[in-house]
Amino acid sequence: MDLNDEVSSTRLQELERKSIAIIREVKAQFNNLAVLWSTGKDSTATLWLCKKAFFGKIPFPVIHIDTGYKFPEIYEFRDKIAREWGFNLVIAKNEKAIKAGLSPKKGRFECCTLLKTETLKDLIEKEKLDALILAIRRDEHGIRAKERYYSPRDKEFKWDYKNQPAEMWDLYVKPAEDYSHMRVHPILHWTELDVWQYVKEENLPINPLYFAENGRRYRSLGCKPCTVSVPSDAKTIDEIVEELKTSRIPERAGRAQDKERAYMMQKLRSLGYM
Amino acid sequence: MSLQKVNLVVIGHKDHGKSTLIGRLLYDSDAIPEQKLRDIENEVKESGRQGFKFAFLLDTLEEERKGGLTIDIMQIPFKTKKHLYTIIDCPGHKEFIKNMITGASQADAAILLVSAKEGIQDQTKQHVFLTKTLGINQLIVAVNKMDKVNYDRRRFEEVSEELEDVLNSLGYKEVPIVPVSALNGDNIFKGSKKMRWYDGLTLTETLDKVIQPSILPTNKPLRGCVQDVYKLDEANRIVVCKIETGILESNRRVVINPSGERGVIKKIEMFGKDLIRAEPGDSVGLIIDEVKEVKRGEVISYSDYPAKRVRSFVAEIILFSDIEIKNGDVLMIRCGTAEKKCKVQRILEKIDPVNLTSQEISPNVLEEGEVGKVIFSALEPMCLEEYSYIPELGRFVIEGKRGTTAAGIVIEVEEDLRKKLNDKRVLD
Repeated sequence: MDLNDEVSSTRLQELERKSIAIIREVKAQFNNLAVLWSTGKDSTATLWLCKKAFFGKIPFPVIHIDTGYKFPEIYEFRDKIAREWGFNLVIAKNEKAIKAGLSPKKGRFECCTLLKTETLKDLIEKEKLDALILAIRRDEHGIRAKERYYSPRDKEFKWDYKNQPAEMWDLYVKPAEDYSHMRVHPILHWTELDVWQYVKEENLPINPLYFAENGRRYRSLGCKPCTVSVPSDAKTIDEIVEELKTSRIPERAGRAQDKERAYMMQKLRSLGYM
Repeated sequence: MSLQKVNLVVIGHKDHGKSTLIGRLLYDSDAIPEQKLRDIENEVKESGRQGFKFAFLLDTLEEERKGGLTIDIMQIPFKTKKHLYTIIDCPGHKEFIKNMITGASQADAAILLVSAKEGIQDQTKQHVFLTKTLGINQLIVAVNKMDKVNYDRRRFEEVSEELEDVLNSLGYKEVPIVPVSALNGDNIFKGSKKMRWYDGLTLTETLDKVIQPSILPTNKPLRGCVQDVYKLDEANRIVVCKIETGILESNRRVVINPSGERGVIKKIEMFGKDLIRAEPGDSVGLIIDEVKEVKRGEVISYSDYPAKRVRSFVAEIILFSDIEIKNGDVLMIRCGTAEKKCKVQRILEKIDPVNLTSQEISPNVLEEGEVGKVIFSALEPMCLEEYSYIPELGRFVIEGKRGTTAAGIVIEVEEDLRKKLNDKRVLD
């Protein structure tokens, strides 16, 4: 899509200030929050927004969910950035399921649910988190396009997408009861291209897996067995931006959980998947 | 020249073709990845529902595709020569009115869709009424499904006349009405060979011609809502403030209401840089001299046009779900960043959103899905404004146990209200 080839720094400023305002709202309204970081471009941009919102120091934990099946580059990048940016990194891992030999071979739906959703659930319970910042975007996937900025999850962690509370103007409301934790999506309104333009403008560090090698690159990062690269020659951020302006391949084309079977993302997400 | 951004909401009765229209706009503006089109075609084939191709582009939930009804809002971009539109698709059925309003509250303009075959239906009127209530003044009508009435000019004119009556009664003047077939693409991006009798603009040409992108309210009085206060150390305190209207400049004297504190803006900070001014939409850190205490929920303004400290106000409210309002109830109202308890002093009237008339004067209760005019009194002073003066602080939501449960627009505040309370018709 070349929808945003006129993206100017004004647009990036608008996107940024809305996101920062939302991040500050969550901090003011909730007692115990955290931000989820996959090390991908979206969540790294979100961490940067958190850093900016709090004048350089992220005042809550940064959570990385480790399935044990991530690319080695993800671990390297994670540890490097955590050191350089100096935040409180919390690594969550479902050791029991991994030891028991759970893998995508035994079913992707079960694997994603146990290694990601359940791990997150355990952590939220253990840390008593009442809000979680996530870097999902509307343009990534149809089901994510239905999300709100503030998206309450119930006691069973389920997303009641058919009966979401209204969200009016920029008034983000904390429910009085009837929820276990709030999912907050400060970059919901950004597009893939916006994120790359922002990465460039702000000179953010980026995982090398996004850059082409031997004619292929990753457009979306997940677990190694379930993520494939897409054909591309883009070796720099500028080349990625150029590629996206003309590409007609969906961003998550390389992500198996989107395709395995119809509505798998819908079902995963209704159970609490990101 | 760069494209300007416009948020559009598509409203109308269920089954009048909203998803099909949006799918068509995306398809004709070349905004859909090929792979996605192929996937959809396969799915349409499997489901055996021919003709639903464009609606399928939009509906992403299993239930939506099987049932052919949109359940929640969805936002999608498309582009014309002039604007970058973000289109907000809202469900049309009755029980999802809160989703429709969620979508409409983010829009600069609305497209109302009416089926040429069925004409105006209950939700047609209800949606236009709610859109108007939410302050959206830019409206365009598409009379859809012209293919179902043999592209008949007389039928189009009939529906147009009926529509004009409804639109005029709500205060929408000179609204463009375009005959279209979203299914076949007539008069959407391209003109129609089947409607040679129509010599007006296509739907997208009309959008480009009449819709004005929203502009930042920089020329309004300054209103900045305090989001939080960060204590960096004993000596340094940063007040974090989101500018709603006007321009905040450093070295200016400000008043902070409702507390009434006064101070001077010493510094406006973004991370890593200082600013000399901040504009609407900015969330900035402030160092303010001479003030003792600043709290979340307060409003920063200049003393020549200070934020009003309001004790009571009249508002038009829309109730979504899980709510019922009676005289004497105390509700939590959220306006800007402030949360204040307000008492329902009196429900003045209940408005029928379908027949657009006053349904009941001084009812005892307003229920789920109803619209009414209410006098509220704030238990302690709060800052809000008349919607016609400063919309950003003239709208509020009512908080419930699941979040936002109702929304309101402020019609009058305190001063004018006193006169009104002397009026016998209000007091009985």
